[in-house]
Amino acid sequence: MRLMSETPTYIGFEEYSEHVPASIPSAVQQATTRFVSGRAARVAEVPEWEDLRQIGSDIRLHTIENMDVYLTQLEEKVLAAGGHVHWAQTADEANRIVLEIANAHDVKLAVKSKSMATEEIGLNHVLEAAGIQAIETDLGEYIIQLAGTGPSHIIVPAVHLKKEEIAAIFSEKLDMNAPADPVELARIAREVLREKFLNAEMGISGGNFLIAETGTLVMVTNEGNGRMCTTMPDLHVAVVGIDKVIPDWESLTVFLRLLARSATGQKLSTYTQFITGPRREAGEFGPKEFHLVLLDNGRSNVLKDPVGREVFKCIRCGACANVCPVYKNVGGFAYGWFISGPIGAILAPQMLGTQTARELPYASTLCGACADVCPVKIPIPTILRHLRRRVAQGDEFAEATLPASIRVTVGLASIALAQNWIYRLGTRVLPALMSIFKRGGWIPRAPYPLSRWTKARPLPPFTANFRGWWKNVRSADSKDARR
Amino acid sequence: MTSPVIENVRRSLGRSAKAALDVRPGIRDPRLAESADSEEQRFLDEIKKLSGVGGRLSPTELDSALRTLVTEGNVRKATVWETSHLRQLGVTEILNSLGVELVSPNADKHEMAQCDLGITEADYLLPETGTLVMRSSAEKPRAVSLLPRIHLAIVRSEMLRADMHQVFAEAKNSNYLVFITGPSRTADIELTVTLGVHGPKNLYVWMLSE
Repeated sequence: MRLMSETPTYIGFEEYSEHVPASIPSAVQQATTRFVSGRAARVAEVPEWEDLRQIGSDIRLHTIENMDVYLTQLEEKVLAAGGHVHWAQTADEANRIVLEIANAHDVKLAVKSKSMATEEIGLNHVLEAAGIQAIETDLGEYIIQLAGTGPSHIIVPAVHLKKEEIAAIFSEKLDMNAPADPVELARIAREVLREKFLNAEMGISGGNFLIAETGTLVMVTNEGNGRMCTTMPDLHVAVVGIDKVIPDWESLTVFLRLLARSATGQKLSTYTQFITGPRREAGEFGPKEFHLVLLDNGRSNVLKDPVGREVFKCIRCGACANVCPVYKNVGGFAYGWFISGPIGAILAPQMLGTQTARELPYASTLCGACADVCPVKIPIPTILRHLRRRVAQGDEFAEATLPASIRVTVGLASIALAQNWIYRLGTRVLPALMSIFKRGGWIPRAPYPLSRWTKARPLPPFTANFRGWWKNVRSADSKDARR
Repeated sequence: MTSPVIENVRRSLGRSAKAALDVRPGIRDPRLAESADSEEQRFLDEIKKLSGVGGRLSPTELDSALRTLVTEGNVRKATVWETSHLRQLGVTEILNSLGVELVSPNADKHEMAQCDLGITEADYLLPETGTLVMRSSAEKPRAVSLLPRIHLAIVRSEMLRADMHQVFAEAKNSNYLVFITGPSRTADIELTVTLGVHGPKNLYVWMLSE
């Protein structure tokens, strides 16, 4: 399996989804079923839910449209609180900044709290190449780091692994005899990682929100590893996308009510931390130094497109993936980047470009379930269609990237469907052609491009002939009328 | 000097450097608190739903309650916030009398990590979610509610607030704030809920009636 944390140059969704192991959809669906019912129960308890969603959407949109002002205020307030602010235009720049901070403090061991931003920039590889051990401490992330695979689900990244497989990974990597028992495996991880928390010189985190009003980093976790990473080491570096900024604490009350209910079906996650600069007093614990790395990496460019930029309303709950019929059948790997599901399908083509991710806008049935559950009302199907148009025809932001073969085929089809005589000819020729491949009433194998269908299931041959049928009905009707 | 990132954002949005901030969309009115009793009951009910142990306690019952906790939890070492209220209650004296070794809450992190029990208060309580809200200072260190495997919070009903709005209005200028909603939990292995993966496994919340 591929490692996820490198910027891909091409995302072959079709190819990847063909190679998804059979165990993945069933494991992923166990998780999504749990989260969908949990979410429904929590949402039902909030009569004003729809109102909250609208307010959440309005505030996120307002923040996007005024992002420069809020980022300016954020920087000012973090500095005033005694923190350091670094701006990174690219992934490489962000990695370099974190590495420089680590080197300046002679860091050998870093503990990491789950962070999509550091996955996006591939920070772990950079640190490891520089001789710094970077350990993921979220249990699921720790397991997949040991296993050397990517995450299959945003909230439970190791859900595709059975307890026996995890026990085998622990036994091998930690040189012990680990039993296949979830509680016991969690205890082992607690012990191993406790040592790391206490001895690491640096804690690395992402962030769920950045409050411009006071320069505050908000982190939401359940296990407590986020608190460990930001409380035990003397140095805390947070890498956060610029899209995470929100205006003020009052807005935060809306997002905190929406986030956990949508993500895990909790009212609030176990730990929510609000960090404004480094510690003030030695005895209180917490880092002596706080660094905030604000990551652009293509985000500012996406802001040009008023339709597509609504993707930045996202608060990373994963609810859209949990209801997506495509995601539930392919899992997280097929999306080829750090973020999967419907939100990944609209984010990757914008941040990586429609050359690299041109297949992703099509990784959807456009059923609209994602838009129905999105806590901040991102119009995902609208953006998917907007990006399909970009891929097929090009727009003011990018040129068309559909391969010539598909463009020619579609062009020919549009001519054929528009010309009566070609269409009529087709209705006679196609069934005749198909009968060559027919075996027992089905077509088990067909030539390209229909082979893409028959790889998964047999194709029913075209037997209906609407024109012929219509003619018969009409003549029967007129006979009836005469009688 | 303005960062090039901000300049790129501004250019993409088609805004000028002097562009004014639009008015932020409004939010709903804050929740109104119900009667003191029902708020307190709601808070304790939520703690229970979160697999925590919540209960009411009078100061005279503290001694026996701590004795039970120390015995049942097999507590040998403990660390306690050095707040005036916990001092008045004589928490450390009771623990001493039970033969529990006390570690300073400002001790080295390796030593703190040896503690079985951490005792704190809370600055605010949220009834709707069963949440403890804590600020941080030298007398109220963050590690006490994090490193020991058992966390006990001794709280009072006057710490109850109607909702997050009120807490944020009072506490948004703190350099550190944490919401604790139940014991540490994970469902990362086969979706099996496991408590105490990194933070405390057991959470006790005692509401003092005075």
